[in-house]
Amino acid sequence: MVTMANAETELVRMRGVDQLDLAEREGRMPPPESRDVVFDVTDLNVRYGSLPALKDVSIRVYKNFVTAFIGPSGCGKSTFIRCFNRMNDLIPIAVVEGSVRYHGEDLYGPRVDPVEVRKRIGMVFQKPNPFPKSIYDNVAFGPRVLGMTDGLDERVEKALGQAALWDEVKDRLKDSALSLSGGQQQRLCIARCLAVEPDVLLMDEPASALDPIATTRIEDLMHDLKQNYTIVIVTHNMQQAARIADMTAFFSVEISDEGKNRTGILVEYDTTPKIFTQPSDKRTEDYVTGRFG
Amino acid sequence: MRVTLQEALDQLEAAIHEEGELVLRALRGALGALEHQDVELADEVIAFDDEVDDTYLAIEEEIQSLLARQTPVAVDLRTVLAILHVNLHLERMADYCVTVAKLTKLVEGAPADQTLMEAFDEMGSRAEEMIRVALDSFAERNVERAESLVELDELIDRANRRAVEQVIAISGDEERREWGLRMIIVSRCLERIGDHAVDIGEQTAFLVTGEFREFTDASH
Repeated sequence: MVTMANAETELVRMRGVDQLDLAEREGRMPPPESRDVVFDVTDLNVRYGSLPALKDVSIRVYKNFVTAFIGPSGCGKSTFIRCFNRMNDLIPIAVVEGSVRYHGEDLYGPRVDPVEVRKRIGMVFQKPNPFPKSIYDNVAFGPRVLGMTDGLDERVEKALGQAALWDEVKDRLKDSALSLSGGQQQRLCIARCLAVEPDVLLMDEPASALDPIATTRIEDLMHDLKQNYTIVIVTHNMQQAARIADMTAFFSVEISDEGKNRTGILVEYDTTPKIFTQPSDKRTEDYVTGRFG
Repeated sequence: MRVTLQEALDQLEAAIHEEGELVLRALRGALGALEHQDVELADEVIAFDDEVDDTYLAIEEEIQSLLARQTPVAVDLRTVLAILHVNLHLERMADYCVTVAKLTKLVEGAPADQTLMEAFDEMGSRAEEMIRVALDSFAERNVERAESLVELDELIDRANRRAVEQVIAISGDEERREWGLRMIIVSRCLERIGDHAVDIGEQTAFLVTGEFREFTDASH
């Protein structure tokens, strides 16, 4: 029976539980600002020759988060994600201006080795692109190139395990990677990135060529992998961003010079629940609700 | 533009307003039955609740289907969530009308107190006005008007307190005691309808601002 004397204790107990619950929830998802920053991008501009592709983007990517970039075609989201591991260096006419700091260091600094960058910041592409080699050799490729050959078998097994592929391929490691299904090939490509122990995984539309079941497996995988890695994903599929991302950035296209120039801009960057329940910018609202784009 | 989604949202909103009209009819019926001690009308009000329940269920099912198929986000999601709540508040209001009708039947033939009957007339009009303001401000997405429900609710709350005092005043009279006790519940029902109207107002504010906040703090 609750008497007036113990009612207060009861209230304290209830409030205590509430606070615990709150703390637990905060433990799961502390405010982003309190997290370590992996990438700190300031005033980034990318041009292809004289054509501006991306204008004045500033963003912080947080550790152990999945960060999604969404937006209509041509908004520069793929151009942007390629700045995180200097993939744009491979395009001769691409010019990257502004600052991209990775754990505080200038990613485009003169002493930075792009190969080392791509080891620590792996990338998975839209279409699975395994090498025409065995499953084992695909995963062992990176470690061999980088001289990480001690305990190679364990390294390959660990990477395949992390990519949730080990059980499906452990008895056929010598088979060609091309004999795998599309979804398995994509997980193999993820394993190939993981084998060199990266810090960040960049994913450019990693599930857009996959069926819904394979897509779900990739999404589940991202959820598991973010415990140990920081993941940045470009996706056309807004619901995918809503399902998997902690933070979402919405990019759009700014059209100028009578339609001749189409430049990507960052419209809004916030926690995913905020972007999908009460976005601050009308343009984001119009895009996520399907009224534009 | 997602035409299918927009059409579904428009239909839901229209259904909510139809449900609101049904609740207003139930309220007027319940008040009429009470005023004229009309048992037949009270029975009609009780039976009429099935229509409100059917509308409530249809809206509920449509929301389930819409959430599953259209996965609305942002303002569309807030609209669906707000309608989900408004639907429940309207259904509860209709239930209070049924309670008033049932109590009317229970006190058939008992001597009524004129002061209290006049108070119910006033409370009924205020409840009706509040339902209208709640539904209109929701339709207009008018937060300011939705917030005006707090003042209207204060008036109905005061009338409720006066009604209770009046019942206490007449409770010395044995013949009117049972009638009085039952009328306290009638008064409470009308007062609760006002509370639900304020809750609908809060949904309007949520829909517009994206933040849910109670207009008044229950501890005050």
